[in-house]
Amino acid sequence: MDKLNIVLNGKIVQGYKGETILELARRNGINIPTLCNDPRLEPFSSCYVCVVEIEGMRGLQPSCSTKITEGMRINTDTERVKKSRKSALELLVSNHYADCVAPCKLTCPAGVDVQGYISYINKGMYKEAVALIRETNPLPAICGRVCVRPCEVACRRNLVEGKGVGIDYLKRYATDKEFELGEYIIPDVKSSTGKRVCIIGAGPAGLTSAYYLAIEGHDVEILEANSYAGGMLRYGIPPYRLPNEIIDREVKFITDLGVKIKYNHKLGDNVSFKDLKSEYDAFIITIGSQIGTTIGCENDRAENVLSGIDFLRNMEMTGQKYDFTGKKVAVIGGGNTAMDCCRTAVRCGADKVYVIYRRTEKEMPANPIEIHESKLEGVEYLFLTAPARVNVDEKGRLKSLTCFKMQLGEPDASGRRRPIKIEGSEFELELDYILAAIGQKTNVNFLDDINKYSDEKFLLNKWGDIQADKITLQTSIKNIFAAGDAVTGPATLIEAIAQGRKAARSCHQYLIGEPVKGEPYEFISRRDNFEKQDPTDYIDHYVHQEREEMPTLPAEKRKNFDEVELGYTDEQAFNETLRCMECGCNEYYTCDLKKYSTEYEAVQTKYDGEYKKYEIDFRHPFVEIDNNKCILCSRCIRICREVVGAAALGLVNRGFETYVAPSGLGSLVETDCESCGMCITTCPTGAMSENFTFKPGPVKLSSFNTICNYCSTGCEITLHHTNGFFMKATGANGTINSDGLHCRFGKFGYKYLNDSKRITKPLLRTNGSFKEITFEEAFEIILKRIKATEPDGNIIFAGARLTNEELYLIQKFARAGLKTNNVTSFHYSGRGNGYKYAVRDNLPFEKILETNRIYVLGSETNYENGVVGMMINRARIQQNAKVSVITKDENDRMIHKSDRVLFVNSYYYFLKAVNHHILSNGLENRLFINDNVSGFDEYKQKLLTEDFNNLVKSSGVFFEKRLIDFATEFNSEMKAVIVASEKHLSSNAIKELFNLALITGKLGKSASGLIILKEKNNSQGLFDMGISPEIGVGTVSINDPILRERMRTLWKVKDLPEYIDDNIWDSFREGKFKNIFIFGEDPIGCAIDKDEIKNTLKNKEFLIVQDYFMTETAEMADLILPSSLPFEIGGSYSNTQKYVVTFESEFNSKISVTSYEQIMELMKRLGVECKLDYTHNITLEISSLLSPIPATDLDKKYYLEHTTEDNHFRKFNYGCDYLVKRFEENFLSSFENN
Amino acid sequence: MKTQVIVGLGSCGLAAGAGKVYEEINRIKEADGLDFELKKTSCIGMCFREPLVEIIDETGSYLYGDVDIKKVDEIIDKHILKYSPVKEYIVKSDVLETPYKDYFDGQVKIVLRNCGYIDPESIDEYEKRGGYEAIKKIAREKISVHDVIKTVLDSGLRGRGGGGFPTGLKWKFANNNRSDEKYIICNADEGDPGAFMDRSVLEGDPHSVLEGMIIGAYAIGASYGYIYCRAEYPLAVKRLNIAIKQARERGYLGTDILGIEGFNFDIEVKEGAGAFVCGEETALIASIEGERGMPRKRPPFPAVSGLWRKPTNINNVETYANIPWIILNGAESYAKYGTEKSKGTKVFALTGKIKHSGLVEVPMGITIKDIIYKLGGGIIGDKKFKAVQLGGPSGGCIPEYLSDTIVDYDSVTATGAIMGSGGMVVMDETTCMVEVARFFLDFTYKESCGKCTFCRIGTKRMLEILTRITQGEGKERDIERLEELAYQIKDSSLCGLGQTAPNPVLTTIKYFRDEYEAHIRDKKCPALSCKKLLTYEIIPDKCTGCMVCKRGCPVEAIEGEKKLPHFIKQDLCIKCGDCYAKCKFDAIIIY
Repeated sequence: MDKLNIVLNGKIVQGYKGETILELARRNGINIPTLCNDPRLEPFSSCYVCVVEIEGMRGLQPSCSTKITEGMRINTDTERVKKSRKSALELLVSNHYADCVAPCKLTCPAGVDVQGYISYINKGMYKEAVALIRETNPLPAICGRVCVRPCEVACRRNLVEGKGVGIDYLKRYATDKEFELGEYIIPDVKSSTGKRVCIIGAGPAGLTSAYYLAIEGHDVEILEANSYAGGMLRYGIPPYRLPNEIIDREVKFITDLGVKIKYNHKLGDNVSFKDLKSEYDAFIITIGSQIGTTIGCENDRAENVLSGIDFLRNMEMTGQKYDFTGKKVAVIGGGNTAMDCCRTAVRCGADKVYVIYRRTEKEMPANPIEIHESKLEGVEYLFLTAPARVNVDEKGRLKSLTCFKMQLGEPDASGRRRPIKIEGSEFELELDYILAAIGQKTNVNFLDDINKYSDEKFLLNKWGDIQADKITLQTSIKNIFAAGDAVTGPATLIEAIAQGRKAARSCHQYLIGEPVKGEPYEFISRRDNFEKQDPTDYIDHYVHQEREEMPTLPAEKRKNFDEVELGYTDEQAFNETLRCMECGCNEYYTCDLKKYSTEYEAVQTKYDGEYKKYEIDFRHPFVEIDNNKCILCSRCIRICREVVGAAALGLVNRGFETYVAPSGLGSLVETDCESCGMCITTCPTGAMSENFTFKPGPVKLSSFNTICNYCSTGCEITLHHTNGFFMKATGANGTINSDGLHCRFGKFGYKYLNDSKRITKPLLRTNGSFKEITFEEAFEIILKRIKATEPDGNIIFAGARLTNEELYLIQKFARAGLKTNNVTSFHYSGRGNGYKYAVRDNLPFEKILETNRIYVLGSETNYENGVVGMMINRARIQQNAKVSVITKDENDRMIHKSDRVLFVNSYYYFLKAVNHHILSNGLENRLFINDNVSGFDEYKQKLLTEDFNNLVKSSGVFFEKRLIDFATEFNSEMKAVIVASEKHLSSNAIKELFNLALITGKLGKSASGLIILKEKNNSQGLFDMGISPEIGVGTVSINDPILRERMRTLWKVKDLPEYIDDNIWDSFREGKFKNIFIFGEDPIGCAIDKDEIKNTLKNKEFLIVQDYFMTETAEMADLILPSSLPFEIGGSYSNTQKYVVTFESEFNSKISVTSYEQIMELMKRLGVECKLDYTHNITLEISSLLSPIPATDLDKKYYLEHTTEDNHFRKFNYGCDYLVKRFEENFLSSFENN
Repeated sequence: MKTQVIVGLGSCGLAAGAGKVYEEINRIKEADGLDFELKKTSCIGMCFREPLVEIIDETGSYLYGDVDIKKVDEIIDKHILKYSPVKEYIVKSDVLETPYKDYFDGQVKIVLRNCGYIDPESIDEYEKRGGYEAIKKIAREKISVHDVIKTVLDSGLRGRGGGGFPTGLKWKFANNNRSDEKYIICNADEGDPGAFMDRSVLEGDPHSVLEGMIIGAYAIGASYGYIYCRAEYPLAVKRLNIAIKQARERGYLGTDILGIEGFNFDIEVKEGAGAFVCGEETALIASIEGERGMPRKRPPFPAVSGLWRKPTNINNVETYANIPWIILNGAESYAKYGTEKSKGTKVFALTGKIKHSGLVEVPMGITIKDIIYKLGGGIIGDKKFKAVQLGGPSGGCIPEYLSDTIVDYDSVTATGAIMGSGGMVVMDETTCMVEVARFFLDFTYKESCGKCTFCRIGTKRMLEILTRITQGEGKERDIERLEELAYQIKDSSLCGLGQTAPNPVLTTIKYFRDEYEAHIRDKKCPALSCKKLLTYEIIPDKCTGCMVCKRGCPVEAIEGEKKLPHFIKQDLCIKCGDCYAKCKFDAIIIY
């Protein structure tokens, strides 16, 4: 019985025998949370988050490892289950000493993602940085100048040098750069909802509300009492701190989204709620707190005694500055308004400016920088001083101020020490003006108006501000919301912005008919939930770097209203970004622990108690281990053992003391770690993460799938980026790597994508250096060269990293355009023809799991073709297959993943000796040979003339018996596969390997045969697309009449060049080639013998190289063409087993003429008709050439070919590809530096 | 017959000094050329009177207790040379009355049938007492596998490791699963604090375990066996290895054993590294396989997929030791002992505040009271019996008022405790029940393998709460917190360790909630055991001002002039108890 009837949450469903409850539930669309489960691994059951209730069973059962049985009744969402899951999560997070987000973001009332935007600034991605800020704060340029920056107080950098990161300066810097470059990211405005919102007041809260409501598609109008927008920003903050242009710029950004502002409209004055009520669906009142508080002493309304904000506002309203020349001015108060007043008074020419404050400087709420600057500007401070009485002259005008001296007593409710008057300490201060900056009140003169025309009563709170729900900011009238100072009383800009966004959110919910409620619960793990952060935990872990200070106008140049702060320089800004300690977790967007803790509303402090603190382990260049974040699901350990086979990780200790550590307890570097990063991929939290070389943010990433362009396995990977900056790569579920496996290439090989040195324009060598030229110029130069040379004076090399489509076009360009068959690759040049058919009837990778014996012959599979290595390991661990390694290298990396090792000196002679043994003892598979193989007798006769003992001796096998054992074992095992690689086997060795497979009859069976691995992603494509003088598309002889006929017809050309057997290297030495084209290969950089290749290339007349970067070969070129990245143009590769893996064009190429277009353009100019605009068309043309050509008898049968020498003439490493070379060199050196 | 002098050299005896006693007897024998036979045996169960020396002469047997080197001279002189037994030292005799009549009469020895009677290193002595007769009977009478299993089933024997699963049924499952290879494992990873039943059997009668395993292997078709023994039992490991060697030599292990065609079987001892959780069968299997000892989910049960993923049968030491007796004497003989659902006998290790601490083997169905008072001789110092902890850290407390509870699987489980492997820790009125719970939880918390969330962190949190309660920092609702966590841990743990770890806490809360409340609300420990909650005070009327307490106080918390009443400065007192111990006038009270 394979199908089982199950009752799942009361519903009868069908399950499969052997299925777990988790699998069953997922198939039925029921989401069960789990942290320790990875479908690639044996079930483990440790997190206990996936529990379910099974009727008739005592405890709760982990669904990930409980198999279903007939009639099982399962409940996945009872209260008991939910409670248990929540408790499991709460217990896990009670020992999770880690930060989800940085304190800066948590402290910011608006929740601005500081760490994220700093990472963007660090990369020079200014518009992205500002766009990220605007997600929660639409006034970044303003905020970047005048924010009180609570974030900087919370910044952990304070623990290192005592000064937080210059967060606000960086914010201003980003907005300045955005403006300077004129590049903006405009948010998408959703389609119109038809709802109308009226916002009262165009101050920061109003503007913010308007911005977010507009984005949601609502029709937003702001009624503003004044003639300009900005509210307190404009009328309260003097322009030397915040120039009006900045306000205008930010307001314009908002009105550009469709927000309308009606100026000189004042509710309760010239506008009545009666008229508005029917016109709008909802309101947000953001009128601020605009009435200045008086000093509260005798004569405090005397002439020349002003409230500070009236003083500031009057100047902005009238455009006239006060003239304080020769006057003495006192500012009363210690807040930021007081600072604005005193510094403005200085600029108005005052002779003397005092600040009178009743406590000391330490208690002053004003920004310390403001205090500092005001002192520079000459302001005098009278601390511990309070006004007692304003003295007036006979006309009632201010004459002087009598003050008390104060002393500090016990702390009050605000935590500051309460000032106490010292009796008898009065003194008198002669003054011309007093500016009272001691507080503001909300002007609610519209109250009666609203109440008159509303069904519900509009209420105020006990302080006289508007009463609004703390969480939703909904007022006592359902469709009226309120935000900003009008609700909170005088507060800060950033709080007004935060409130504006909150009100907008509630208002939006109201408008679309959703319940009005606050932000949904988000679980945030915080180190501060465990302990107050101690500097000693930080000081030694970070390089000491002082804060970059803001350049300012010299004090003597400040007698005006010019902006004082000048903004960071580029260098300062970059340096300051480096100070960010990136406290927030890199897995913020991907962490499952956070996701489920949010879903189940887990509370971190529910089960508080002892917790573990670990040092973060950065010793591995690619993998970072943060045990603080580990939940001990052991997925990393298990994937490393069960799938990868490196067993580089393990658990240490027991119980609460348990932690994950590299095997051997040293560094991960000292283990068999293969740096594949599968541990990172499987980790459900941020405990195993990439050891980033750049600031990753974290920021939200976009992603697309493509095919890995390193080795020949053909794995699909997902690249994650933000606006073209690539932040990470993960395995995708591809045709080959169907369960998302990846190796070090796929995981860490993406970094070159961010290299700014990429070549994007044609470069011409001029007087010893390269000069950018246009494509048009480049094409003409090339054309001229071609025309001046006879066809066979040209030669084209095409690399194994190019797409099939590129390769096809290149050979067409050679044959139809240049009229030569001189098209080849350095990669295979001079290595014999054994590799041509190496893929014939290879065992598909997925069949590895079904084999009983795997022989890894001359292949460090796990290092060179990592994912295939994992498949071999899984067969060994999960299916008990026996793995033997046959190798020349005693440090072969496959050894520790095998059951047996056989050392040889020569694969070629080893194979020949094996074949000799089989034939001389009559052990061959006669049946198979008779049916499928030709040339047997001749082969046998030739081979047996060779001396077996000599062959054994040359093979280097220490005991002859081991060789014979291998022959016998392989021959008799029905399910045996030999995995070999072209990198280590000569092409004749490959031929002998084939001979072995043929005489033992292993080919074409379901789980036996050969797997031959190639070096590059499209090594096979070189054969398939005819990148060889002797073969055309489909690996058919170029002299094949049918192929030639097809080519002529399809390409509309009369003559095709005949193949002439020629030795390229000899021709090179003779200087036969005048024009050399090299597409996507770096023969010099990758040469094993660099001088040899350099000398060979020396004789050229003109060298054209197409590549991404300035390779060593490109440096020798006369003309360099830029090359498109695969995912910029789309296309396909043939993997080492001839699977054609395709990928799409995901990006507009940075290069104005793509790689495809370049070749086609050249062909056109040579008179070859070329109407191929898209990859798709090229593919169609290829397939029409590929349609089967009637096979000859020889092709139908396998052919045994006797070889006489080991032709190991490999001249290049890295498949002759610069990218592989670059990766490998970085890879190896990153370990050396450790 | 020649007089025999037999010295008990089990771990308990050796710890009490039996090694020296043996040497002394041997020295005298050699020096004086005495004509008696000096032999070794193992624990007879009377650990409370070790070292034990038995003398058997033509008149009968005489067991001397608390023998030391001095007594050796006297005993040899009087008993051997003058034929006059030293009555005051004799604890057991078949001819003399001793005070331990109840202790012996209350016991039925099946598992311990040879312990203390044979030299465990001698296969001959085992054979002499019917050893290997059971397997011989199977071979001789060609008893089928089916019939062996049926006999075990009919005997009603249940797994003595604590789970109580019918052994015959387990064998039947393992037998039913076809495989090219099967294994049989003896779980000798006895790890409960205060439990040493298995150790005694392994040290005292290793062959009975081997024979039980051989019969089991025959029954399920296993070809290889492992005895997973904790490394803390070096004597047991040594004697097992000797026994295995002897069994191989006599053909009880090997190929075609006793002529049973195709019955090939061998045994190997695997030493565990001392992780308690390795007593859990899946963790034990992982440990034998060389992996970290961590449990995995069942099903599949070992009977289906066990060691190296082959069908595997696991029983504990005591279970196997029963088998030869059952085969030899028949299922009915065994089943006549015990209750309806719990047959046969059970070995208990009595420890704690009990007079006769040691091993007893009793028929199922005896009451706890009888074990404690009749066999155990009552509470030390005749203090008030408060409770007994059954089943070790996985078990629970049974309070005094439930001491009529009979010992069988179901009755014990009904109280909230479990039968467990047989550890019985007796507590008197001076035992703080919160501290007891804390002690056991501290054990399980430390022994958690760390795999499952609830067991790893949940037990830690419970321990933190218990610790703070015993330190006077308990908070309102702590009891509820404990209960909530306890039920969740029981609900959501993979293996028995986690599933049972909260039991001591739950049963102590169930039966002694008032003690918890006194700790939390009144900051008092009613048993006067939790140090931080004690107050030491000097009664001025009784104080003579002798200054002894003052001089001894390590923190100078006692003040007072000579000959005048002293007093203790409570804020300084660290409650070390030194003054209380030293005061000769009972002038210091603790409350």
